[in-house]
Amino acid sequence: MSRHGALNTFGRSGNPIIRSDVFTSKASSSEDRMTLNGAVNKTGILLFLTVLAATISWNFQGPFMLLVSIIGMFTAFIVGIATFGFWFFFVGWLVKPRPYLAPKTAPIYALGMGFLIGLISEQMESQFPGIVIQAVSLTFFVAASLLLAYKTGLIKPTQNFWLIVFSATVGILLTYIVNIFYSMFTGASFSFLTGNGMFGIGISLFVVAIASLNLVLDFDIIEQADEQGAPKYVEWFGAMALVATLIWLYIEILRLLSKLRR
Amino acid sequence: MSLSTILTIVIGIFSFFIFFYFLRFKASSKQTDRSDRLKWSSYFTYKDREKNLKGKNPDPEEDAQFKD
Repeated sequence: MSRHGALNTFGRSGNPIIRSDVFTSKASSSEDRMTLNGAVNKTGILLFLTVLAATISWNFQGPFMLLVSIIGMFTAFIVGIATFGFWFFFVGWLVKPRPYLAPKTAPIYALGMGFLIGLISEQMESQFPGIVIQAVSLTFFVAASLLLAYKTGLIKPTQNFWLIVFSATVGILLTYIVNIFYSMFTGASFSFLTGNGMFGIGISLFVVAIASLNLVLDFDIIEQADEQGAPKYVEWFGAMALVATLIWLYIEILRLLSKLRR
Repeated sequence: MSLSTILTIVIGIFSFFIFFYFLRFKASSKQTDRSDRLKWSSYFTYKDREKNLKGKNPDPEEDAQFKD
């Protein structure tokens, strides 16, 4: 190994900005490097915060909690974009991803989304008793199944896999945003999103499938960052990505089950 | 509580523990030793944070290595 530490760190150019691969030389000591265990612990912490906020929101229903949930949702949306960035078709990154923000933004995201899913869950449970426990169980069943499929190499995330899942995810997100604006002006939602006919159920199944496949990408982010010795804060980044997908998957499963019960 | 609900809860709890247990293990070589692997480094770089840290806390030993 060369005694010239700067050459090892920055490469022959000596310029830290034009290094070929910053992913591989993140942390100087093993204490600064992320680990799989660290990412799992952070995932546990974020899920605990989500459940805590959801429990508060569930038990203290009212106009104040509704306001808190709406603020929570918007806050989570903003910190989510600040951390993961925002990409748009043909334009590219409108907001660049900033993984180093994750240690601060991840707990805010978990709490904000927790308040929202507490509210949604309570309303769904009052209409369809027992639906929440079914949705939670199914969410973890899907997550555990895909994790095993990923770890054993049954599902292999490749560039094409990423392109399909990412395009579908952006498409779904845009459809939801357009639907929000449409319902604000007309007072009605797109029937194919909310309808409980075969088409509506098919759409829900498709969205659940895409949300599930996003989990595979999250597993790959965590696995690869650990292999390449990414900095410690990437534990929060990976955990935040995983929790965000789990929350999305839970909401979609809840929606699918409610359609099936109508 | 119906039998199906109890079964769902049991599956949920079992899946929860499976999820958190296997998340700690590294993926098999079948997954990691592939030529068509996604390169997340091209989407998420950590240089902004690194530059900030290096600017704030210059390591005195790093300069010392230039002497010889």
